[in-house]
Amino acid sequence: MANLRIEHLNKRYGATKVLNDINLNIEDGEFVVLVGPSGCGKSTLLRMIAGLDGASGGDIHIAGKLVNALAPAERGIAMVFQSYALYPHMNVRKNMTFGLKFTGVPPTERERRVAEAARMLRLEELLDRYPRDLSGGQRQRVAIGRAIVREPAVFLFDEPLSNLDAALRVSTRVEIANLHRMLKSTIVYVTHDQVEAMTLADRIVVMNRGCIEQVGRPLDLYYAPANLFVAGFIGSPAMNFFEAKVERVESGCARVAGAGFRSFELSAPSLEVGDLLTVGVRPEHLGRGADGPFAVEGVVELVERLGESSFAYLRRADNRLFVAEVRGRQTPTPGERATLVAGARDVHVFDASGLRVSTQNEA
Amino acid sequence: MPEPVSNIISQMPRLRLAALLLFFLGPALAVYSLFSIYPLVATMALSTYTSDPSGARHFIGIANFQALLGDALWSKPFWNAFRNNLIFFAVHMCVQNPIGIALAGLLSLPGLRLKGFYRTVMFLPTMLSVVIVGFSWNLILSPLWGVAAGALKTVCLGSLFAPWLGLESSALVTLSLISVWQFVGIPMMLIYAALLNIPDELIDAARVDGLGHFRIFLHIKLPLVLPTISLVSILTFVANFNAFDLIYSVKGALAGPNFATDILGTFFYRTFFGNQLQLGNPTMGAAVATIMFFIILVGLCLYLVLVQRRIRRYAF
Amino acid sequence: MSGKQRARSFSVHLILIAYSLLAVGPILLVVMNSFKMRSAIFGAPLAPPDATTFSLIGYQKVFRTAHILTYYSNSLIVTLVSMALVLLFGAMAAWALTEYRFRGSTALALFLSIGIMVPIRLGSVAILNMMRSAGLNDTLTALILVYVAQGLPMSIFILSEFIQQIPKDLRDAARCDGVPEIRIFFEVVAPLLRPAIATVAVFTIVPIWNDLWFPLILTSSDTTHTVTLGVQQFLGQYITDWNSVLAALSMAILPVVVIYVILSRQLIAGLTSGAVK
Repeated sequence: MANLRIEHLNKRYGATKVLNDINLNIEDGEFVVLVGPSGCGKSTLLRMIAGLDGASGGDIHIAGKLVNALAPAERGIAMVFQSYALYPHMNVRKNMTFGLKFTGVPPTERERRVAEAARMLRLEELLDRYPRDLSGGQRQRVAIGRAIVREPAVFLFDEPLSNLDAALRVSTRVEIANLHRMLKSTIVYVTHDQVEAMTLADRIVVMNRGCIEQVGRPLDLYYAPANLFVAGFIGSPAMNFFEAKVERVESGCARVAGAGFRSFELSAPSLEVGDLLTVGVRPEHLGRGADGPFAVEGVVELVERLGESSFAYLRRADNRLFVAEVRGRQTPTPGERATLVAGARDVHVFDASGLRVSTQNEA
Repeated sequence: MPEPVSNIISQMPRLRLAALLLFFLGPALAVYSLFSIYPLVATMALSTYTSDPSGARHFIGIANFQALLGDALWSKPFWNAFRNNLIFFAVHMCVQNPIGIALAGLLSLPGLRLKGFYRTVMFLPTMLSVVIVGFSWNLILSPLWGVAAGALKTVCLGSLFAPWLGLESSALVTLSLISVWQFVGIPMMLIYAALLNIPDELIDAARVDGLGHFRIFLHIKLPLVLPTISLVSILTFVANFNAFDLIYSVKGALAGPNFATDILGTFFYRTFFGNQLQLGNPTMGAAVATIMFFIILVGLCLYLVLVQRRIRRYAF
Repeated sequence: MSGKQRARSFSVHLILIAYSLLAVGPILLVVMNSFKMRSAIFGAPLAPPDATTFSLIGYQKVFRTAHILTYYSNSLIVTLVSMALVLLFGAMAAWALTEYRFRGSTALALFLSIGIMVPIRLGSVAILNMMRSAGLNDTLTALILVYVAQGLPMSIFILSEFIQQIPKDLRDAARCDGVPEIRIFFEVVAPLLRPAIATVAVFTIVPIWNDLWFPLILTSSDTTHTVTLGVQQFLGQYITDWNSVLAALSMAILPVVVIYVILSRQLIAGLTSGAVK
């Protein structure tokens, strides 16, 4: 068990910057999820922590030890690969013990660890089988078992659920969460699925184009995204954005106006007249009967019915679409004109550079 | 962004990487350099020498090549062998490859039964030694045995029979056809494999568009396997300009009748080792080998520049 | 199936059967007649041997006058040893070339590709000189060395394609497991290359077994002849003895045919595996 510290980490392939000055502190026993769109550098970061990819600059410390120059096996990590990477010509037991042979673990100890991991992951029946005879979920568990027997300081997961079908993904997700509770180990987990990120993580690291956009607890990211990217990335369907402008400022209170929504007051001392803003509201926070400063009017164009709720796509006065989630049995009908309102806490405001504007409304 | 090779290597100490490379590459490179590349280079070097009766060697520059290409004593058999080789190649290109393509096309028809059986049987001659094939055909076409004549007679074409292998006018083409018979399996298999690689959905799409099997083959499959066909052509070229075994085993080193079947391979052998009519001349042999090397090189370059670069490859 | 489809399927089979007959007919003819008496060979060449025409006289003669068993064992030794070395050295080199990036790796790949396209036969003059001065002429070792050099480039090319198909994660997993590089090759990668053996075999074993050129120039005594050369020489000597000639030909054909028929599925799978595009 150990903490992980990453300082000024850079990675370039030729002229392309893949990772740009990454700084990250992960506490002992913490479950950290790296999330971001494909190509954002999250897998590269994980592989660099593992030692599979070299850094172009910066340091990685595992358990207080600088590991830049160490081979993967010497770093005290274990990795679970997206494709599981089980050795096809070795049975489950051999797959789990193969690596231990080379790190000087005596045979009796190997057996003990395999037995324990097998019990934990319900693999006892499968120990003599070959990977080709296992289902996707079983292979996944073997891959995790192979990581556990190494008793690593840090577990690294590279999109481990992406090859499973939807139902299995949910149950395996629960298993991984349980496993973390039992082992209390440090885990770095890469995914592009925000549901996995939200459900599993102690903290989420949102990455984009080789940079960290925000680090925080799942609900912090949801309720207080630090910038436009995080606001748009976390949450499904994505947050609605409205372009806006500060019309007037009076004693720390700004009047914000824009096309398509009613102008409203915002107590944000930092704003000045003429500032360009983006106002963001999540579809699930727009309601018909609600009470709040933000109100937008539109004509329902399309309705997606999910069962417990529906997504209504509405066209605003400036001819753009926005989405609102409507709960309950009654669904809007296309052609219907509606005014939707959001509470002060649920209105996010971002400045021209995309950063969150802190407002008194949140308090 | 995936890297083609493992990045871990870039972190490895230089010396360790060098040791690893030596371990993995050393044996292959040693054997290959010593017994393949070095002999080629040494042969080229040798082609610029001549030996006097005492066995001593003297550097003579390009005199061997001048003799080969200009001096009637050498150039007549050389150009004869070259021309014959071109005919040998032309027959392969015009007969072997079309038949190979056609057979591959038939074999890849969807739902064809006995596919495996046909494949196995048709590839069988390719597995046999050229020597055995040549000699067997020699017997079959021999007027002494009369099998070929008899076979023709049963289909009322008896008058067409002639001792093809013995006649100056037909010996070379007959030998070429024997070689085609043997090696048709190679284009067939390579093109068949390429045809199998075409996704079924593409063929289904064409069928939905109303194309018949033949049109699908002509308009969809054939253009897609064009890279393989051009590869087969260059393989044929290299093999043909390097052929020897068949002529030697059927006709001997003298490639009769009257050198009518002499190709570069047999000419090289005769020059190098000698025969009933002349003494072996290793340096001149080396010169012949060098010219063969350049012929193959020119062919490869033409292929790379003219064909390979213009052919569009499709990713499925 | 409609009538038109049936007719088309029938004509396709007709063409394929006709070509199959053309392909095996000559081989069948030779083998069949090798079991007949001389008079029957000429009297009814297309008839299979029956009780009255059956004879093994040709085979008896071949066994008496040619060292056919020596030829077989020479061919076997040369082919199998060459094949083993080509596979081992080829796989090792292919691994280094695909897995490790180092300066000159592209140049090295290019250097190796010379051997795929330029026949080693053209270096024969120098090879013979080398073998003579090394005291290796007229030995099987000389043949093996040449065949290994000849087979390596193609096998490296084929094996590289196979190695690239092995998931990269697998090697990374082994590295995370602390497996030393050399053992990653021998214990993780090499066992997974088994399917490649068939493909490499088609491209190395067959040309080696069938080669006439190098045995002809590198071996001179009966004890080092391979089957191909031995039979070729025998045929030259006994050209008028049809029984012996047909028997010798059949003896060269039959083992290849038997092995081919047994392994044809793997061989053809190897050939069509897409490794050669």
